[in-house]
Amino acid sequence: MKFLLFLLCLFAGSAFGQLAWETTEQTFHSKPQDKEVVAKYKFTNTGAKPIKIQNVQTSCGCTTAQLKKTDYAPGESGEIETKFTFAGRTGKQEKAITVNTTDNPTQPTILKLHVYIEEMVKIEPEIVLWRVGEQPDSKSIHIMIADNSSAKIVSVISDNPALKVKLTELKSGKEYEAQITPESAAQPAAATLVIRTDYPPDNPETKYAYARIK
Amino acid sequence: MRAGRLVRQALSILLAALIPASLTAAFHPRRPPWSQETLEAGDVLLPTVLTWGGNLLWVDARSAEEYEAEHVPGAVLLNLENWDQLFPRFLDRWAPGENVVVYCSAATCELSREVAERLRKNGISTVFVLKGGWEAWKTRK
Repeated sequence: MKFLLFLLCLFAGSAFGQLAWETTEQTFHSKPQDKEVVAKYKFTNTGAKPIKIQNVQTSCGCTTAQLKKTDYAPGESGEIETKFTFAGRTGKQEKAITVNTTDNPTQPTILKLHVYIEEMVKIEPEIVLWRVGEQPDSKSIHIMIADNSSAKIVSVISDNPALKVKLTELKSGKEYEAQITPESAAQPAAATLVIRTDYPPDNPETKYAYARIK
Repeated sequence: MRAGRLVRQALSILLAALIPASLTAAFHPRRPPWSQETLEAGDVLLPTVLTWGGNLLWVDARSAEEYEAEHVPGAVLLNLENWDQLFPRFLDRWAPGENVVVYCSAATCELSREVAERLRKNGISTVFVLKGGWEAWKTRK
């Protein structure tokens, strides 16, 4: 009797229904022209009782999750469609979608979405800084073009003549250096560096970098 | 005699429940933290920030609408969606060496981490993420 009670306590959780997920983790590699990625997470109610999906939460306003219905009978399948809008994000991104169900309300399922967003034009760093009184030596910004992109840098222009910029192509069509030289670093100054590309041809992308003397 | 047996049985059931519960608490990969004050690298608690006095720039990583509705006094708006427009405004306010504290809506939001990471990539090293975000500020005592 005692042993039976022990077993009942030990395995009480498995008596409820449960959702079986096809996968809880997906990885995408975006192309430079992509603006968003859509991922579908499929599931089946493999338990003996109906399951209600109570809540689906995303970890970021940039990610939305859609569910056609909330109640799933035993054996019924469904999917959660998530959309991650890049909106300026670049590089390795990790987003989480939390799913709360009636089968295990205290232990939500965490769906994970990994996206590697390739930038068409990568600028490192976006700012060069001199402290007031520092020697006005040249500082560099590196501009790199994605391998699968045919974009080229057309020009880099400083909006402040006191902070001059010189563009050098380091690797044909792929890597550039913008060298910024202040006339003097005796006073605070600011410049925006306008980096013009030739891609896409109908509306070429413009990127920005900044120079500050503070 | 019968009462004693009932108590023993109740204790046995309690013990039987305690064993799997303890194992779950110790080894489950998604067990909740023992303390809510656990800090990730780069996080900072509000009481710590409040001791920094003037050497501080607040950065609001939420949307422009949320920022316009209410924000930490003196905070500058900076998010990834409008980075090209907002980053120069941040640079105008920021002083080298100053502590930068980024917040978004709540503890679960990632926007502040994303903004903090991009600032660090640009050489601004004294950047922290406010643990608990805007909710922590609103509920401060």
